[in-house]
Amino acid sequence: MKTSLIALAFATSATMTSAQTIPESVTEPVTITFYNYNLASAGNGADATNKMIAEFEAANPNVTVKGVPVPPQDIATRLQADLVAGQPIDLVQMPFAALGFAAENLGAVALEDIVSEAELAGHFEGMVPNGLELGKLDGKTYGLAYTFSTPVLFYNADIFREVGLDPENPPATWEALKAAGDQIKATTDYLPLATGIYGPTALDWLMQGVIASNGGAVINADRTKMTFAEPEAIEAVEMLRSLAQAGITRNLGITAQMEGMAAGNTAMYLQTSAIQGYLVKGAEDNFELRAAAMPAFGDKPVKPSNSGSALSLHSTDPAKQRAAWELMKFLTSKRGYTIITSEIGYLPLRPEIVEDPEYLGEWVKDHPLLQPNLAQLKNLAPYVPLPGPNYLQIGISMMDAMEMATFGEDDDVKATLTEAQERTQRLMP
Amino acid sequence: MMTDAAKLSPMRTRRAPALASWDTAVGHALMIFVSLLCVFPIYWMIVTSLRPSNAIFSTNLWPDAASLDNYAYALQAVPMTRMLTNTFLVSLAVTLVQLLTGILAGYAFARWRFRGSAILFGAIALTWLVPLQVVMIPNYLLVARLGMIDTLGALILPHIASAFAIMLLAQSMRSFPTEVVEAARMDGATHWEILWQVIVPNLRGTIASLAILIFITTWNEYFWPLLLTRSTENSVVQIGLQMFISSEGTQWGPLMAASTMASLPILLIYLLLQRQVIASFMKSGLR
Amino acid sequence: MTDLSADTAPRRSARTPRPLAPAKRFLRILRPYLYLAPAIACFVVWIYEPLAQAFVLSFQQWNLLPTSPKTWVGLDNYRNIFDLPKFWQALGNTWYYLMGLLPLAVGLPLVIALFTQDLPARSRNLYRALIFVPMIVPPVVAAAVWRWLLDPNHGILNLGLQGLGIEPVEFLSDPSIALWTITFITGWKLVGFATLILAAANAAIDESLIEAARLDGATKWEIIRDIRLPLLSPTLMLLVLMVVLLGAQWSFSYIHVLTEGGPLGSTTNIYYLLWQFGFGSLSVGWSSASAVILFVGFGLLAAALFALKAKVTFYDD
Repeated sequence: MKTSLIALAFATSATMTSAQTIPESVTEPVTITFYNYNLASAGNGADATNKMIAEFEAANPNVTVKGVPVPPQDIATRLQADLVAGQPIDLVQMPFAALGFAAENLGAVALEDIVSEAELAGHFEGMVPNGLELGKLDGKTYGLAYTFSTPVLFYNADIFREVGLDPENPPATWEALKAAGDQIKATTDYLPLATGIYGPTALDWLMQGVIASNGGAVINADRTKMTFAEPEAIEAVEMLRSLAQAGITRNLGITAQMEGMAAGNTAMYLQTSAIQGYLVKGAEDNFELRAAAMPAFGDKPVKPSNSGSALSLHSTDPAKQRAAWELMKFLTSKRGYTIITSEIGYLPLRPEIVEDPEYLGEWVKDHPLLQPNLAQLKNLAPYVPLPGPNYLQIGISMMDAMEMATFGEDDDVKATLTEAQERTQRLMP
Repeated sequence: MMTDAAKLSPMRTRRAPALASWDTAVGHALMIFVSLLCVFPIYWMIVTSLRPSNAIFSTNLWPDAASLDNYAYALQAVPMTRMLTNTFLVSLAVTLVQLLTGILAGYAFARWRFRGSAILFGAIALTWLVPLQVVMIPNYLLVARLGMIDTLGALILPHIASAFAIMLLAQSMRSFPTEVVEAARMDGATHWEILWQVIVPNLRGTIASLAILIFITTWNEYFWPLLLTRSTENSVVQIGLQMFISSEGTQWGPLMAASTMASLPILLIYLLLQRQVIASFMKSGLR
Repeated sequence: MTDLSADTAPRRSARTPRPLAPAKRFLRILRPYLYLAPAIACFVVWIYEPLAQAFVLSFQQWNLLPTSPKTWVGLDNYRNIFDLPKFWQALGNTWYYLMGLLPLAVGLPLVIALFTQDLPARSRNLYRALIFVPMIVPPVVAAAVWRWLLDPNHGILNLGLQGLGIEPVEFLSDPSIALWTITFITGWKLVGFATLILAAANAAIDESLIEAARLDGATKWEIIRDIRLPLLSPTLMLLVLMVVLLGAQWSFSYIHVLTEGGPLGSTTNIYYLLWQFGFGSLSVGWSSASAVILFVGFGLLAAALFALKAKVTFYDD
């Protein structure tokens, strides 16, 4: 019954749009809205976004872009409310966790339905294929990866030196990380490791990467079954539990973690590269901040997941669809990514601009922290959005169980995860 | 009736003056401790707002190299003055309207016995139990239908009445000596006149306290303005503060500066209205 | 229908009823409702009408969009919520929060209000202004500052404790302490509020009563016990009622900013839990069922308190 409801919602949104073809260009003045979370916080993100909008408007005099600032955790709610209230929604910076929900319930339009194949292929040329995969659901592009980042292991090189670890060789595996952690723990008061894996803000994005790196997944490929109590996932959580039991990592809130790292009290921090700017600021004149790739499980390949957002298009009017698509193209162009990477700090999805002196060539030389992140792009395992109208509740329940299994009293990780898997399975569409 | 009783300086208990002063000393010690506890975090907020960005987590009691950079940045990054003005207007309007509806409703509950009064009173108290989030979307749709999205009016409209104001005023009006009201009735005053000419002036202290509290509650409101915000220029100061907070790193210095700027107006209003509370206290009740 | 005050004390001067014209009589019956009309209208439109909708929606699965159908799911939404392992933990925590908040938000302010009333105007005003200061700070900022002060590594409080040779206390990440830390911060923010209310009520007490008692040789403590406390009891009950009904919501900002309900759910309370599951995404079924659970659960508690209140309060009529 639930499945048919979703299918129906899908069908209606598809019939609303698929038959239309959008005009070649914007000939009449048109105003589009751009729901954006970078605009909702003061600073680099908002400045860079406004700059891109201004450049776009200058190049497309017929289009006026009205930015609507909404914090990321409120975007799904806000869109739903505005959809019902009949407010115009054209382009949205959609967090990946909400992308499935947006496609199924919020009227996100698949690009293949409105843009010709040739034009689409032309724009996708030069973009990281793994990055494009991020916005695809059931083979169609509902979101175009926009601001995004991968998990990296930040570390405080000064602490490494202090305890006799080699800052040139940061731990590449969890085993090595545990050894380093023991060493730090034994000789200093610093917290050896903080991770952004847990906590409501993270939901499951980082956990998906950790489990994928051990060959598992939290959900199966066609998004019908939860699989986080399978052996690979259990093993990954057991490893995290052993870190917690050894006192190498602690169950801290996200802000406390970030502040601990920025203040120089934490040795290593596994977290999204998006917070790099914040850490760099704290490290200035204070300690040497470095970054390494996410640790691996033995010799298995690392499968970093991604955090961040995609652009999703919600207009129903063909002229506005064209205008929104034009803005989408500009934001993900070489110029767009140059601004996004150098001014906000997300990854460029067009790797060629990194070498190109016209774009990021010069900038990259002064910003070595970008490298581990760029290197990870190749093995990226795209974040899988949880399905259905209960996606968030499924995610919270799963992560509650993971937290309990890692930091709780009960040593039986398997039992905890199995119980939660059965419970969340009932919430699936 | 006694007048100015409170002016008869500290209470003298004739029995054990030594004990009383001992009491007082303990009392002062407690008050000083509590006051310090209350003020220190705010002092910390102000000190932090003066620190340069790489010393935000410093534990020095004093800002070593005080600078106003955070203030300059905060003012430039968000339309602070515009937001403060908006917030002030909204808070002022909400305070006045809630006092008005509260005084009327409070009088009805305190003065008359009527069918359904207990149920209505209960229903008003129970509005506290309705989570904002569940009424927010229907209210948003209503505001949209009224064409009021992105206006200050939409921030005021759902706050025309508050359970707290009604209950507190009903409470104090019930405690109001009946003889005074009776005397006015005998003089031929109508209920309307009694309410505004006898009761309200005498409840000045309570009303002033209530005004402060309503003002602050409105000033600190976040979720409802957040839903309504379509442009920072038409939004309120709490939205501005939240703009310094993000999952990618909170800008503590500017946030503390902006918060200091957002808190000062309330402190001034408190001090202003507090004189009313004190003044009514000095008069000590009724003539 | 005459103007009796809502309470029971016998009238000293009974007024002689006059016969009234029907129109006037009707107006007289209508009058209380007219005084109440603006407030009631506001509550009906902005709160109770949406709540009634929520009640119906709590049995359905729907995403609010007019294009998608509503599905009747019976008690599924409720079952999902009661199924959460954290539900009972949150319920228990809610109780601890209340127990912790009552002394901080009612007891302490009462002591402060009674003590400061006898002080000379200058020190009284100073104390009260200082105690009020936490009220003016936005909750999220208050939470952030407290986190710094309490940080186990670089917080000033723990540095002080270390100076005294005490191990640093994990105020926010130790599951057995975190709840009390949040209770303390919530209470800290409320002391000024409650003191203000109690001081205003205390100031409204007719001084002639107290002066008379004093002339009879009553001690300070006797005056407090026999005159002030009984006369303050309605206000105290109002405060207790507020803490019970709103306490869970007041802690919300601090839970949200400081612990997000953790570690291991030790600081989550019923309001926060239902917020997390019900309102984080707009799945109307969850949020409506959450709202109904909150309303009914706390409503019953409130009814019990009202009954109690009717028993213990006393008015100066």
